[in-house]
Amino acid sequence: MLLQVENLQTMLSSSTGDIHAVKGIDLQIDRGETVCLVGESGSGKSVTALSIMRLLPESIANHPCGVVSLSSDNGRQSIDLLTIENDQMTRVRGRRMAMIFQEPMSSLNPVFTIGEQIAEAIQLTQPGTTDSQARAVALSALRDVRIDDPESRFNDYPHRLSGGQRQRVMIAMALACKSELLIADEPTTALDVTVQAGILELIKDLQYTSGMAVLFITHDLGVVAQVADRVAVMKDGLIVEQGLRDDVLYQPTHPYTQKLVDSLPENLQQPAAVRASGELLVETRDLQVYFPVRSGLLRRVTSRIRAVDGVTLKINRGEIVALVGESGSGKSTLGRAIVRLLEPTGGSVYFEGKDITRISKEAFRPLRTDLQVVFQDPLSSLNPRLTIATTLTEPMAVHRIGESNEHRIELAQQLMEDVNLPADYIWRYPHEFSGGQRQRIGIARALAVKPKLIVCDEITSALDVSVQAEILELLLKLREQHGLTLLFITHNISVVEYVSDRTAVMHRGRLVESGPTAEVCGNPRHAYTQALIDAVPRFGRN
Amino acid sequence: MSNSMAAGGSKNLQSDIRRRGLGARVFSDTFKKRGAKLGALWLAVLVFTAIFAPLLANSRPLLLSADGVVSSPALRYFTAADVTLLCLGLFALLLCFWSATMVRKLLLMAVIGAVTFLVSNHYFQPPKLSIYEEYRESARTSPPDWVLQAPIPYSPKDYLRDYGDTGLQAPSMTAQRVHLLGTTENGADLFSRMIHASRLALGIGLVATGIAISLGVIIGGLMGYFSGIADMIGMRLVEIFEAVPTLFLLLTFVAFFDRSLYIMMVIIGLTSWPGYARYVRAEFLRLRSQDFVQAAVASGLPLGSILFRHILPNAVAPVLVAASFGVASAILAEATLSFLGLGLIDDPSWGQMLNQAVQSSTFNWWMALFPGGAIFLTVFSYNLIGESLRDALDPLTQRAEH
Repeated sequence: MLLQVENLQTMLSSSTGDIHAVKGIDLQIDRGETVCLVGESGSGKSVTALSIMRLLPESIANHPCGVVSLSSDNGRQSIDLLTIENDQMTRVRGRRMAMIFQEPMSSLNPVFTIGEQIAEAIQLTQPGTTDSQARAVALSALRDVRIDDPESRFNDYPHRLSGGQRQRVMIAMALACKSELLIADEPTTALDVTVQAGILELIKDLQYTSGMAVLFITHDLGVVAQVADRVAVMKDGLIVEQGLRDDVLYQPTHPYTQKLVDSLPENLQQPAAVRASGELLVETRDLQVYFPVRSGLLRRVTSRIRAVDGVTLKINRGEIVALVGESGSGKSTLGRAIVRLLEPTGGSVYFEGKDITRISKEAFRPLRTDLQVVFQDPLSSLNPRLTIATTLTEPMAVHRIGESNEHRIELAQQLMEDVNLPADYIWRYPHEFSGGQRQRIGIARALAVKPKLIVCDEITSALDVSVQAEILELLLKLREQHGLTLLFITHNISVVEYVSDRTAVMHRGRLVESGPTAEVCGNPRHAYTQALIDAVPRFGRN
Repeated sequence: MSNSMAAGGSKNLQSDIRRRGLGARVFSDTFKKRGAKLGALWLAVLVFTAIFAPLLANSRPLLLSADGVVSSPALRYFTAADVTLLCLGLFALLLCFWSATMVRKLLLMAVIGAVTFLVSNHYFQPPKLSIYEEYRESARTSPPDWVLQAPIPYSPKDYLRDYGDTGLQAPSMTAQRVHLLGTTENGADLFSRMIHASRLALGIGLVATGIAISLGVIIGGLMGYFSGIADMIGMRLVEIFEAVPTLFLLLTFVAFFDRSLYIMMVIIGLTSWPGYARYVRAEFLRLRSQDFVQAAVASGLPLGSILFRHILPNAVAPVLVAASFGVASAILAEATLSFLGLGLIDDPSWGQMLNQAVQSSTFNWWMALFPGGAIFLTVFSYNLIGESLRDALDPLTQRAEH
């Protein structure tokens, strides 16, 4: 036994009152073991990790009771992390326990080279190490986390590294300091699936070679299925179910765990197939969107980023077409160019047979009602100063939908009911809604002008799985009710398999493969698609 | 039938479930703090004295009954500005009980102000020559039946020539005359002058900052929303105007042209907009790419709605904070100019009184303490409110982003 958490409670005080974030949890981690802490947002899993590391500010956090004992010397000695002095805790952090965070972009200091940062950590945890020894240890750690060409990377600043490489550097730091326990708080959530696969594999391999224990915090059951030895499921500050991975995932006993597993897109009830008409609604022909890179005093265009580089895509009426790709592949840019939020550099978009890229902005305005978009971030997609009623009725008024203001209010209330929200919620302001509810309102706003095509730009990726399941089911229902055509942009392959009829895969601005979803996902032809599908952490009932 | 009933129902619902918007929350959060409350209290006192100045300090009786005829000599000398201010003050009080949006209230106030100014300009024409001792002398020769005097029975420019022995005097209360805060070097009552000077202090702060904000929001908004070439030209303009030293420009203008309050306001306004423009530009750049603005564009809303309804209300927060500090610095600029002896000549101003405090060989403490204290309190009040406003906006912006 390395770490034993007994009845840990954490209270967070805020101006509006105390929050009981962790309500008494028991957790054990053995050497060389990976324990996954799973839960949806707000379940208290990150606060648990921060409590163990004692990284919460003392001014706002306190622990009414609980023991976090870290044992050493094969269990003969142990210290209670919650009661030891601060300077003693400082010696535990890094030396015995290390932590990596979700956001790789901000976890390294931008003004020091990565080598300096690792070497500094080594010299702090192992006093008496000379500079050259520290350098050697750091280089071998970088090699262990499979950073290419560690000698030259040693002298690089963090901004020259990608997100995945930075996460590797953070792991290398923990390795170099010979930490016994690595606490990883959603380390792969901000990364692409192919990068995520590499990091997960790395963590597993390192465990075999170094015997490091890992407390892995995640919301993704697919990741859990790949890395966990044991799983603890958290909900509302409590661990509701704990056990071996296969027991928890495949024979869940607690209803909440069952709900989580059932909410996965691959476990959702497949909807009845809707037959698309085969009639062409939108077509892009050799569409290009380039972003100029300006530099110098006169801000001349020195080069161009080819975000979308010659894409030809057909969307039939009544279809759901999924556009898949990793971050930076240009899928969002393509979506925005289709609804003309971005002006294409070349090529054209045909809507119902008309070229809509060449017409003027004024001539395009009536077409705005046909082409709508729903965005990823539920927090920024609604104007915080306007009531939902105003948000929904303003586009209707502009496009002369509804005879009077009262009529439009009625229509707005109808829309709210369509997206499964109470009608009188239209008098509320956005801050009074949860993320999932805001996303429903975003859909209602798109529906307000009776569109033919809705571009859904990663609309479920900021949501918990159970909320994601509700939104996906809602979308399928609305598609049938309103005869919608959807361009569904996502990076989540399981969502694609559940929701879409056809799938198009984008890579570096180009369309590498497209076809019926079952074919693209089940039998990918292009090498990139194969790598993408293979990298997805799978977890299904069968 | 059912249609109209449903519409009526939704209206009831609207008033029942009307929730507090962001603006109302920020407002109440701002004035939760004691500092901001005290600041607002001091400003309220200033506004009160500014509006009712001619009724608070006036050499002429407010009401006078002589030979059975009731007259108001004070009213006869009312200027159009006095009347407009009074009307605006009364209407502002009335509007507090009217539930409408802030923008509508402000528009209505502007209309009322313009109308009353035009009307009163026509009807209220005070005599060109004003002899302040007129009523005191007539009262000495033939005492009226009854008389209602202002609480401070001295006009700001009444140099008490009829008493003959006037000059700088410390606060005194003799049987003959009461000067609560002393007199100035010309013998005018200091309290009266301070009350009338509150108009200048409030006016210059609000008008100069108003000019600056209008320019800043328009130019900054255009720079931020259109970016590209408009942004580049705008930023160069901002840099040029930022390089202009306000005080020296004011000095130059005073040297060449008349000493006019309006020129002062305009110059302070014209030189302080770049700060606001920078704020607004940054906010517009940030908001332009926000999803709700993109959604507004995608819904085909007209440019006016996108700019003024979806972006501007979300961008004004930092401008308001900057504005409350800007008002304070405009007041200081006027006080500095007056202190240097380059302000208005005869009209009362706090800075000018400070100047008199140090001019004679003795240190006239009352001339330094009271106007200096008033300047300090006013600037401090605006800063307190600005500080509190910033704190009130901070958690909200954070909550909106995470």
